[in-house]
Amino acid sequence: MSIVKILGLDKVASFFNIIRQNGGIRGSLYKLYRQDELKDGTLVGEDKFGNKYFENPRYFYGRNRWVEYSDNYNMNYDGSQVPAEWFGWLHYKSDLPPHKDPARPNYPWMAEFTENLSGTTGQYTPYTTTRPKVEPWVPERKSTV
Amino acid sequence: MLRQPLCRALALSSPARAVPLASRSYSNPVPAEPEKVEVFINDKPVYVAPGTTVLQAAAQVGVEIPRFCYHERLAVAGNCRMCLVEVERSPKPVAACAMPVMKGMRVKTDSDLTRKAREGVMEFLLVNHPLDCPICDQGGECDLQDQSMAFGSDRSRFTDVHFSGKRAVEDKDIGPLIKTIMTRCIHCTRCIRFASEVAGVDDFGTTGRGTDMQVGTYVEKMLLSELSGNVIDLCPVGALTSKPYSFAARPWETRRIDSVDVLDPLGSNIVVTTRTNEVLRILPRTNEEINEEWLSDKSRFACDGLKRQRLVTPMMTDSRGNLMPVDWEDAIVAAARALRDCPPNKLLAVAGDMADAESLVALKDLVNRLGSENTCTEQYFPLDGAGIDLRSSYLCNTKIANVEDADFVLLIGTNVRFEAPLLNARIRKAYVHKDTDVALIGPKVDLTYDYMHVGDSASVVKISPRGPEGSALLAYTQELACKLQDKLQDKEWKVLNVLQRTASQVAALDLGYQPGVGKALQDGPKVVYLLGADSGVVSRDQLPKDAFVIYQGHHGDAGAAMADVVLPGAAYTEKRATFVNAEGRAQQTLVAVAPPGMAREDWKIIRALSEVIGERLPYDNLDEVRDRLSEISPALVAYGDVQENNYFAQARALAQSLQKPVSGKLDVQLKHLEDFFMTDTISRASPTMAKCIQAVLKQKDSPY
Amino acid sequence: MLSSLRTGIKGLWRVPARSLQTSSVLQHDSLFVHRDTPEDNVNTPFEFSEANKKRIDALLAIYPEGHKRGAMIPILDLAQRQNGGWLPLSAMHKVAEILNLPRMRVYEVATFYTMFIRRPVGKYHLQVCTTTPCWLRGSDAILKAIVEDTKCEVGGNSPCGKFSVSEVECLGACVNAPMLQVNDDYYEDLTVEDTKEIIAKFKKDEKPVPGPRSGRYASEPLGGLTSLTEPPTGPGFGVQDCFKA
Repeated sequence: MSIVKILGLDKVASFFNIIRQNGGIRGSLYKLYRQDELKDGTLVGEDKFGNKYFENPRYFYGRNRWVEYSDNYNMNYDGSQVPAEWFGWLHYKSDLPPHKDPARPNYPWMAEFTENLSGTTGQYTPYTTTRPKVEPWVPERKSTV
Repeated sequence: MLRQPLCRALALSSPARAVPLASRSYSNPVPAEPEKVEVFINDKPVYVAPGTTVLQAAAQVGVEIPRFCYHERLAVAGNCRMCLVEVERSPKPVAACAMPVMKGMRVKTDSDLTRKAREGVMEFLLVNHPLDCPICDQGGECDLQDQSMAFGSDRSRFTDVHFSGKRAVEDKDIGPLIKTIMTRCIHCTRCIRFASEVAGVDDFGTTGRGTDMQVGTYVEKMLLSELSGNVIDLCPVGALTSKPYSFAARPWETRRIDSVDVLDPLGSNIVVTTRTNEVLRILPRTNEEINEEWLSDKSRFACDGLKRQRLVTPMMTDSRGNLMPVDWEDAIVAAARALRDCPPNKLLAVAGDMADAESLVALKDLVNRLGSENTCTEQYFPLDGAGIDLRSSYLCNTKIANVEDADFVLLIGTNVRFEAPLLNARIRKAYVHKDTDVALIGPKVDLTYDYMHVGDSASVVKISPRGPEGSALLAYTQELACKLQDKLQDKEWKVLNVLQRTASQVAALDLGYQPGVGKALQDGPKVVYLLGADSGVVSRDQLPKDAFVIYQGHHGDAGAAMADVVLPGAAYTEKRATFVNAEGRAQQTLVAVAPPGMAREDWKIIRALSEVIGERLPYDNLDEVRDRLSEISPALVAYGDVQENNYFAQARALAQSLQKPVSGKLDVQLKHLEDFFMTDTISRASPTMAKCIQAVLKQKDSPY
Repeated sequence: MLSSLRTGIKGLWRVPARSLQTSSVLQHDSLFVHRDTPEDNVNTPFEFSEANKKRIDALLAIYPEGHKRGAMIPILDLAQRQNGGWLPLSAMHKVAEILNLPRMRVYEVATFYTMFIRRPVGKYHLQVCTTTPCWLRGSDAILKAIVEDTKCEVGGNSPCGKFSVSEVECLGACVNAPMLQVNDDYYEDLTVEDTKEIIAKFKKDEKPVPGPRSGRYASEPLGGLTSLTEPPTGPGFGVQDCFKA
């Protein structure tokens, strides 16, 4: 065991490393505010929405892969913004990130990924297929305009 | 005696009403009551009049004998044999419905022989009755089902080992109201007897014989009657069921609310069947004094009109003149502003044909508080002479049930068959069973019985209340009625009867509404408040250009289409409200379903409006409104009762002051069956009624 | 034994295919609802002849006022005879009009009685009794002969239009079984040859002599009388001596 480890200097080194990797003091404070944690790791890839995917095996399993949401989302990020192809890697279904996995199918008919739009104007609203019990009277329009 | 219903005697139990009946004497006095006969039903002695049937005698001691073909309002057929009972010293069981009692007869309705006879009859009936109860609309209210449970054998000897099948009969097409599944028919012939005796259309009969006998019309023919729906209730099995209600619901999953019909002036008693806040069907409720147990087709089948063309939200015209949905607040404020700013003499309130007494009194009070007296109804009635000052001049004074006792009926300017179908059924009953003579002044129409046609000229009576000479016609009718009354021995018998044509008219006249809008419209009203007035007597052309029209009602029709503000009210199945029928009997409807959408009870809307105007009406709940009604006339809240009216002489005296010449032709609006089905907003919105008109027109083109 | 053999043979056929179960028709051979046909519809012309009108007046005169509908069956019969043995719908309507009754009341009567025929029939309506006594005496063979000779199915009309064949229940001539009724005449004690001869004559529009074909006059025994062969005894026959005067 090296002296560095015994003295705990590696922790100090990784602290500075984390600060550096997260963009200095200002950047680190911003990320801490936005994500509630600061981590260092290797950038594994980035999806088309701008979300960045990191990995650092130093953290224990379950916390060693994470996503930093694109700055476009500001504070309005949520888990459904991870596209389906990255979801598998992030949840340890696969160790190969999508851009390194040639076996992934990519058909032209596959739908564009959308985040969960509940609570927004774009949300899915079910409509009734039964006839209303009472049909309201619709007045005749006197002017066409 | 054979056909005297028991419940009639019960309905007349109150002494006040029993006395005039008892003291009445006819030109040929009723023979003295014959001595009663003692018979024993299951060893219980009972005294009955001679001629009573065993079945009726048993009913008097509370013994119910099962029956299919027997119906107390129809002739005895005696062909189902279900009512077989054992009579001591009779070699065979006898049919109780057709067997008159004899002195000392000992009837056993629970003996082994009787039970065996019933089981045998039931077994034979079921041999050819399909076992399709699970898909049968009668299931749950089927006499055959109930009686086979109660009186049938608990096992069957019917084994169709040769796969010979049950009897199959092709279905008949008898119109858009009645669905026929003739394989289920057990040949009780109730429908045939109803059609020929009560409805007066001899289109039903049996063809063939033996196992091939069919009930039907032989040729393809619609049952052209305004009472045809009653055969559905009469049918003890599922052979005749309601077409609009087919496969809709089971009787045990519905709620039944007693109510009153408002589509004709008689106020027939009905049961509204609902499920999940939806009116499914309307059935008659027995009331011996009004509708017996019948109901006209319009009242029964127009209920699907309650679900279409409804006003569900308040509306206001926008800047382009289009009616747009708005909130209650906006609509009430707009209406209140118009009413408040209107000069009192330019304010007009018009009540339509289905307005209830509560909303009528609220509207009248509101208009009066605003300083106006212009409250009118759509239907015209003469005002000169006695006019509407005396209640007896605008009511059916004889009462509906007593029409059966009349010796002579003179109909003036009315087609009673379509204006009040059940009153016509009563007249027909009198015509059939009592040889009552009927004469008609007015256009020649089919009344289902023979009558003497006196002509259609008003001068025949020198007396009729429509057209410009209405008041003179009424005066002459009163004169004639009084003269006839003087000649009667029975001074209690009322001769003059006026049949109003709408359910609201009597209550409105009682409350002091002016009948007819003619004069009020000539004054050029600035603000018109239409309370369900849809019959088209008020139209935009008659009003000044800048007139502001407020419509309150439950259906989008002529009234709502011309309105500036529309206030959605409740239909008669959706409110607890008072209606006074043509004989002056107050009855109330009950809430069967909630008003749709944002619609509210009518008197509450007017009450809310009054508060916004600043002329708060002094009642906050239904009881207080009814207190107000009883202040005006106690008759309006004496539910189920008819008050006697006796000011005929005074009415004559008042009428004598005017001696106008009477001329002109009498006419009626409803001449043919196709006119009958659509007369008001509810029936106009009803798809079933539209189908009926189509079918009637098609039938008229058919050679049969 | 025989039935089990039959079942066995049936079983052979049944092996591959599922047997189709059909129920027999529990129905009369005539229909009890009206169907418009070119021959029989509401517009079929029908008017009583002058002679029949007189007969109708006479018939109506029998019945008291208010009970004129009692004349319905004779008038319907007149209409049927006038119309060549069957009743078109328009004739029923005519009768209803004469009696001032709803049409349905006439339909009811006309469909109830089997002798009112509501389908067009040929000039000769052959009615073969197949009830038990006639059947025992060989009415099946008679019916078969008739069907073959007239080329007319039971309940139908022959292609030439001259014959109609019906199978009917007992016509009350059991003593002279088997028998055949052609329009109003009975032909009794038939053999197949007799039947063929009768039909051959009708084909030539000749009228065979009605009655028994066995040489009998009526229903007397075929081999002469077996009883009542002596002249009737006079008064006093069999009376005790002491009572003889």
